[in-house]
Amino acid sequence: MIYYVSFGIVLLLFLALIAFLRKGIIETKYSLIWIFIFVVMAILSLSQKLLEKISSLMGVYYAPSILFLFGILFLIILVFDLTRRVSKLYKLLYTLIQDYAILKSELERERKR
Amino acid sequence: MINDSKILVIIPAYNEKDSIERTLADLLAFKEEKRFRNLDICVINDGSEDNTATIVKGMNVILVDLPVNLGIGGAVQTGYKYAYTYGYDLAIQFDADGQHRSSELEKIINPVLHNEWDMCIGGRFVEKTSYRGSLQRRLGIYYFEKIIQLLTGVRVTDATSGFRCINKKVIKLFAKDYPKDYPEPEVIMLLNKRGLKIKEVSVEMSSREMGKSSITPFRSIYYMLKVSLSILIRKIEKGES
Repeated sequence: MIYYVSFGIVLLLFLALIAFLRKGIIETKYSLIWIFIFVVMAILSLSQKLLEKISSLMGVYYAPSILFLFGILFLIILVFDLTRRVSKLYKLLYTLIQDYAILKSELERERKR
Repeated sequence: MINDSKILVIIPAYNEKDSIERTLADLLAFKEEKRFRNLDICVINDGSEDNTATIVKGMNVILVDLPVNLGIGGAVQTGYKYAYTYGYDLAIQFDADGQHRSSELEKIINPVLHNEWDMCIGGRFVEKTSYRGSLQRRLGIYYFEKIIQLLTGVRVTDATSGFRCINKKVIKLFAKDYPKDYPEPEVIMLLNKRGLKIKEVSVEMSSREMGKSSITPFRSIYYMLKVSLSILIRKIEKGES
């Protein structure tokens, strides 16, 4: 049962992603990693046998725990990547603000002439 | 008359100190020789760390100095925004590294001049030219030719070529919306979706004189996947026509 719920959620999120991409709400390059996650999670959700194989390899008794494990690991990687992107944007914005202020001051100087 | 049109030649430049002077001198000579009265050259300095900007300031061209590096998409779009702001009739994208030749400019200007076409791309593979790229590069270009033909019906043999000329309608469009990463193949879908007409003509190009291509062998497949996805998303995009 959990397998179907899991797959259903992944499918819904995937459709939401496509809708956002169509409207231009999400940038294409950010969507690549999401698509990868959705595809892997969908495969894991659909194949009970595969999940049980992985769980026995890892010595885990309850196979759906592996779904949680992968989900959490992906989230951690995703958030880490987002942190990296936010840091980069922060630096860009900082530079822009400072350069803007200096430009404004140059403009004022020109006006006063 | 071709010589009276208000044309902006947009040159995105990132760390091109070794080739920019020669490229600009070549273009200025072309302007003089062919008597293009209203042709302006605009270098977009994409946050170069070297003295590209200083070199450009010493020449009779326009310099737009970006405070940070935006990449090829962002830099070229800045040029289109400039073209739109100052009412240019035509805009041309031209590489700083010496690959593009001013002698081939008229070939891409003429189809767009009287709005027979909205964008004209100068391709190296329409006819046999002297260009010799790496096998990997040519495979990638062939892949894009096929996928674009499949999705749009338009046949572009050199979709990655940045040597292109656009008219006022497309300038306005690009000023508002232009892809940020690897824009050249994606805009073909962008224009096709809005019913705009693209022509490809055969041009000669030189091989890269100095510096390295920004696409390393390792990144090729990632690049091809990413651009394919972008083209697909543009196809299903919710847009006004």
